[in-house]
This record gives sequence, C-alpha cells and structure tokens, in this order.
Amino acid sequence: MDIVVALAFNGLVWGLIIALIALGLSIIFGLLDIINLAHGDFFMVGTVLTWFVLEATGNYWIAFLIVPLMGFLMGALVERAVIQPIRGTAALSIVATFGLSIIIQEVVRAGFGAAPKRILPPIEGTIPLFGIEYDIYRIFAAGVSIVAIFGFFAFLHRTKLGTWMRAVRFDRDTALAMGVPARTVYMVTFALGFAMAALGGAVAAPITTVDFQTGVDVLPFCFMAVIIGGLGNLPGTVAAAVLLAVTEGIVTSFTDPTVARIVSLCLMSAVLIARPHGIFAGATR
Amino acid sequence: MLQIADLTKRFGGLVALDRVTLDFEANVLHAIIGPNGAGKTTLFNTISGMLRSDSGTVRFRGTDISGMAPHRISRLGMSRSLQIKSVFDSMTVAENLWIAAQAREGVMHPFSNRRRFGRTAARVDEILEQTGLEGLRASPAGTLSYGDVALLEIGIALATGPTLLLLDEPICGMGPAETESTVEKIRHLAESVDIIIIEHDMPVVFDLAEWITVMAQGGVLARGTPQDIAENAAVREAYLGDEDDDDEDGEGDGFDA
Amino acid sequence: MKERINRSVLLTVLALLLAAPWLLPAVGFDYWLDILAEILIWSLFAASVNLLFGYVGLLSFGQALFFGMGMFGVAIGVAKLGLGFWPALGLGMVVAVATAAVAGALAVRLTWHYFAIITVVFSLIFYFIALSAKPLTGGDDGTSFSMPPMLTLGESELSLTDQTVQYLFILLVVGFAFFVKYLIVRSPFGMALMAVRENDVRASLIGLNVYFLRWIAFVVAGGFAGLAGCLFALFGRYASATYMFYHVSGEGVVWTIVGGAGTLFGPAIGAALLIVVREELSNMWEHYPILVGIVVILTVIFAPKGLMGMWNALLDRLASPSADGTKKDEGPREAIETAVAPVKGEAGP
Repeated sequence: MDIVVALAFNGLVWGLIIALIALGLSIIFGLLDIINLAHGDFFMVGTVLTWFVLEATGNYWIAFLIVPLMGFLMGALVERAVIQPIRGTAALSIVATFGLSIIIQEVVRAGFGAAPKRILPPIEGTIPLFGIEYDIYRIFAAGVSIVAIFGFFAFLHRTKLGTWMRAVRFDRDTALAMGVPARTVYMVTFALGFAMAALGGAVAAPITTVDFQTGVDVLPFCFMAVIIGGLGNLPGTVAAAVLLAVTEGIVTSFTDPTVARIVSLCLMSAVLIARPHGIFAGATR
Repeated sequence: MLQIADLTKRFGGLVALDRVTLDFEANVLHAIIGPNGAGKTTLFNTISGMLRSDSGTVRFRGTDISGMAPHRISRLGMSRSLQIKSVFDSMTVAENLWIAAQAREGVMHPFSNRRRFGRTAARVDEILEQTGLEGLRASPAGTLSYGDVALLEIGIALATGPTLLLLDEPICGMGPAETESTVEKIRHLAESVDIIIIEHDMPVVFDLAEWITVMAQGGVLARGTPQDIAENAAVREAYLGDEDDDDEDGEGDGFDA
Repeated sequence: MKERINRSVLLTVLALLLAAPWLLPAVGFDYWLDILAEILIWSLFAASVNLLFGYVGLLSFGQALFFGMGMFGVAIGVAKLGLGFWPALGLGMVVAVATAAVAGALAVRLTWHYFAIITVVFSLIFYFIALSAKPLTGGDDGTSFSMPPMLTLGESELSLTDQTVQYLFILLVVGFAFFVKYLIVRSPFGMALMAVRENDVRASLIGLNVYFLRWIAFVVAGGFAGLAGCLFALFGRYASATYMFYHVSGEGVVWTIVGGAGTLFGPAIGAALLIVVREELSNMWEHYPILVGIVVILTVIFAPKGLMGMWNALLDRLASPSADGTKKDEGPREAIETAVAPVKGEAGP
C-alpha cells in the first residue's frame, strides 16, 4: 500500500511538472499553429543548463532562478531564427521543429556528453505524509509548478501582453486588424513556452536524470496532456497532465510502466478520433 | 426535379435555413437572390452534401439525398461551382477538367496510363471549347486570372456530366465583356442542363433567369417570374433594409433592376 | 508538377546500379555495395512517406510502424515460426499491410496536424507493445535470425548470404516498387490523389470519395514501408523495436522534404544524399546530425520543394526565360503551401 501512495504522489508531482511544460506546447500550437517536436528538448535543455550552472556556482538556487530566464532568451532566439521564417508553411513547420530537435539533442550530446548524470536534491529530508515518509524536495517541486501555472494564468488574464495573446489565439485576423503587434506576440509566446519548459527542467533535474535524451520521453506525454485535455483548453491540459501522471503512477505500482503508457496512448488516439473534425478545423484557423 | 422540404440548418444559435420548402422545376433556368446572410450559399451547401442539415429532406429526381455524402450526390448528376473559387491550383487547366470528367467514369485504375482514356480526353476538349479556355489548357490553374478561374469553376462542374448545375455567383470577379460572354454561355448550357444560379448582379439575374426565388434571413421571401419579383414590394424592402449588412463583398449588391 | 527526368539519365543510373557489384570492387570501394543496398531500402521507405505527403497531402510521422511490422514479420517468421524465405517475406508484407489497413481507417479521418499526431501515436503504441512483448519480439534486444535460402536447386542454393545476390535482389525489389509508384502516379488514380491533395472539398464535389482514396493511399504507402522493412530485416538478419520509433519516421520525412516531396525520385535522392553524408562525415565528426538538422531547417525555409523542386524550377527558367514569369514571383513558399496544404476548412465526410 505504501508503494502505491508513494507512486501516486510521484505521479502527482511529475504531472504538475508536465502540466507546466505542456502549457507551453499548447500555447505555441494555439497561437503559432506549430507542432513543436522540439518541445521535449526544451525541457531537457532546462535540466542540462541546471547541471551546468550548478557545476559553475555550486548553488542550485542560482540555477533555479536563471535557467528559466536563459530559456526565455533561447526561445526568443529560436523563434527569430527558425520559427519566424517558416510562418506560413504550416505543413512543413513540423519538419523544421524535428530538425531543431535533432540539432538541440546533438549539441547537448557534444557539450554535455552522452552519459546521464544526476543532481542531488537541494532540500534534503522527508516528512510523514499519509503514512509514508515523503521527500520534501518533491513537495517543493510540486509547489513551484503550481505557483508557475497560476502565475501563467494570471499573466494571460491580467497583463496587456497576455490579453493580446488570448486575442490572437481566439481570432487571429481580428486581433491583427485591431493592431495587436503580431511579431511580438509570437516571439513572446514561443519564448514563454521555452521558459516554462526550462523551468520544468530546472525543477525536475534533481528528481530525474540529466540526459540528452529525456526530451524524447517527455514529448509524447506532453502531447497526450494537450490532446486529452482538449486543444485550446489550458486548464484542461493541466488537469489531463495530472490525471495521466497519477494514473500512470498508480498503474505502474501494479504492472509494467510500459503497459500504463500504452493505455494512455490508446486513450489519446480515441480522443483524437472521436473529436468531430469541425472543432479541430476551428482551432487550426 | 429538386424538391426541398422543411430544410433547417443551424450554426450554434444562428438559424441559417429556417424550414425552407422549395420546388425547382426542370427545364427552367432558376435564380436565387437575396441579401448577404440570407442563406443562399448555405442552401447550396446543404443540397450538395457539404453540410448536413438539422432536419428536412432534399429529393433530387426522385432520390432522397438528405445526408448523403457529396461525392455520391455528385455521381447522381448534381454538380456545383463554389462561391469562393476553388480549383486544383498546381494542376493545369486540362488536368483540372480531366479529373472532373474521369471522376464519374471511375478513378480506380491504379496501373493504367491516363492517356489511354480517350473518352475523357474528348470530354476535356469539349469543355475547353465550351468555356473558351483552349488557349490556357496547359497553364497551372493557380496562375489564371480571376475571371478565368471562374470559367474553370464552371468547366469543372460541367465536366462531371451533370443533369443539374448549381452555380454560386459564377460571374463574380469578371469584367463587363467576360460577364456578357459568360451569360451567353450559361444561357446556352441551360438548353441541355438544368441550372440553378445564385447571383448578386441584378441585371444579369433579370436577363438570364426564368424563375426567381428571393431568400431573406434563412427563409423564402418570394418566388416568381422576373417581372413578378421586380414589382414585389416586400423584396424591395428586404434589399433596401440591408444597407449596413454587406460585409461579404459589397459588390454588385444593389437592387437597381 | 512536371517531373523533369531525362530517360537517358534514368537508364544510365539504372545501368550503373546494376553494374555496381562489379564496378565498385574494381575501383576499390567494396564496402559501398552494402551502403548502396541500404540507400535503396531507405529510398523505398522515403517513397512511402512521399506517396502520402507529396501526392495526397498527408504528412505521416508514423511510417516506421509499418517498416517495423515488415521487419518483425520476416524475423519472427524465420526465427520463431521456422518459415522459409518467401513465406517469411509474405508474412512481413501481410502484417504490414493489415496494420496499415486498420490504422489507416482511423487515421485518414483526420487531416492536417492531427493526422501527423495520430500517426506518431499509433507508431508509439506499437513501439511500446513491441518493447514489452519480449517472448515474441525480443524486446530491447530484438530478434535475429539466420538467412534461409531463397532457392534450392539440388545441391546449389541461391541465398542472400552472397553479397552480390543480396544487393541485386534488393535492387530488383526496390526498382519494381518504384515502377509501381510510377504507374500509380500517372494513372487516373494518381490524378485523383493529387486532386484530393490540392483541394479535398472540390474533389468530393466532383464525385471523388475522398476518405476512400486517402485510405487506399495510406494502405499502399504502408505496403511500401512494410516492403522496405522486410528488405531491411533480410539485409540485417535482424528486427528491432527501435526501428518503429517515430524518429525513424522522421528521417523518412526529412529525406522526402530535402529531396523534394511530390516528385518520383526526389525522396530517393534525399535518402542517398543524407546517407552518404552520414557515411562520410560520421567518421570525421561525431556530431554530424547537427548539420543534418541545419540542412532540414534551411530546406524548409528556402527550398520547401527540395532539391528536385529547385532542379525543376531551374529547368523551367532555362526553358522559358520570361514567358510566364509574371505569376511565378509569388515565391516558392506560397507555391508549396498550395501544393501540399490540404484545405483547412471542412474536409469531406
């Protein structure tokens, strides 16, 4: 029983981190019409940057603060260099982000090495929780993710930039006609998506391995959250991420994790197919 | 020929077609007019199977075609052109017509050279002549002028060998000379094919149509000969009350017949 | 799109390919025969991606699924069921095509990005199944087998263990598949597929069954990918779940785009180019995939019709310097958009 509780909690923590990453994927899709196959790698870059900053400074908290900022800057750079030139070739954008994914993984393999590394949690110790001793750091990680998710929603609803983003998402043509600066919105959206994935990476680095391939595992999970939660439905994405992760966590305590993953993927296909085409067509416009 | 009964189509809260009941007789050139948003194009979309109606039935030459897929309706002999001109852009004019002509004959010949289909080729030549597009047969459709695309639209619809042709603003975008020759072509076509035309250009409608249906707000406002319609007070009012509503193209929309 | 391939160029290339087992050793490049065989197999795989993307407008990131099914069909057929050469090949094809028929019936209900996503999902599902079904597939390690003979005549037998026989067999099969694809492209069926790619709403209005056409194309493309997988299993005497992962599909997409989607030989050229680059560069620079990634992005930005597209445009310009240059200045990007983008509005039924 203890193992079930522990795995369920692990799933919850992981689900919140995934939710943070998946939100970025969802807004990039919703606003820029781009299926970002490199999004998992943005997360991976977050974990690797955390490792580097930790190596350089010896202090995890510095990494925790500056990695998301670095992610934001890199996101803006990538948007300018790769995404902006391919706007309008929506069919091929997925190919370009696949190329981006290859580049990022290979650059990290060159600079960081192919061997996975570990980071020790900056907060040690456990506290009793529902009859088990649970890592304090994982609770902290969940807390950070929740704050970041709420912060993101506040940003969308309380700031001018956020309002612009929602306007473009809702009706691009009208928003542009009303003078919303499209280029800025696109760049901020992409940069923010990268930053959130990088923050996810910084938070997750101490509880997972730092490896140039982690993005490949994270990406399908993020897509599942976005699709099952409903494209364009940001709170739905968060809920789906948490639900999926907890379910997979619990199922994993009974059986092979691969089986849990297969079940999630089948669920995702069912959602994709059952959706009437019209809703999707509306969302892509 | 075409019987529509109680046809209703809603988009969310908006009722685009409100229990429309219409009967189109054969061998008469029909026109449908009405202000923007009256439901004309929605009517075509529903008849041709592009949209599924919420209720009501459509019978075409005795067959109930409500809810049928567009390609099956097309194979029954109903063909249509689209208001927003849409052709196969990177294929040549001749290829556009070729595939339309072959669609009826069957395309499941995965291993035979398409040059062998002489009957289809002859059909393409015939349509090229009818539409006057011979000179452009090898041009990619995406490079045509707006007026030529409109002609190609009609040509594609014609190539399927229809017995009923639905034309949605066929002369939209044409210059005066092109309009005149196209009107003549349509009049000529009407001798062999039943035609229902949606058109905003009133002089054209009143010149061409033998029977006019006026739609407004998803319903049928009036029907009659061109003369009946020109004298109908309700029709005039519907058009005059429409000034602030012409967001679609605003062109040739006035009622100045 | 006109394919500007000169018949004499084609025949020369074919003759060189046929003569390769004798030519290459003569110039001291023996080991290139295997690389050539690999290029041929992956060209066929890219042709599968191309049939869907270039001719029907559906971008699949899941063709590796059928490739893997072909591989496992052959490997399991030989290693577990004790089948001979031809029955194992047949099993691989049947498994691949059957999977494509079922997956396609569901997948072609979607278009656009959603089609790409669902193909990834399908291939992931089978990837994980292949990983966990260890007794059957060998899981992470895969299944290896020893090559059964193709033909036994009394004492002598014909087998792919002979490098030359293996190469010629692969060349023959791939050549035949490309010939079939050529027939399809110039047939009424091929024209119907292109009409669906150009404008699916219009296609349904002229009486084409868009869903059915897409499904058939999906199954045929699955068959091509499956055949490539069968050949690759025979070539390596091995099958592994790794080859079902969507990254393998992605490589096929990359070759297709770089070579030129919607052209008969573009994907083969793309595959050849990138495999040669890999063979030449991987010894010198371990991180050559960075270059591949950059080439992919540059292609998408500057030459979305790929190498063949650039070649055709060049020939067009040489052929008619200013004849119809007026409309051509729309830029390549717009052109590819209309060429490959399925209509974004409502699709057919």
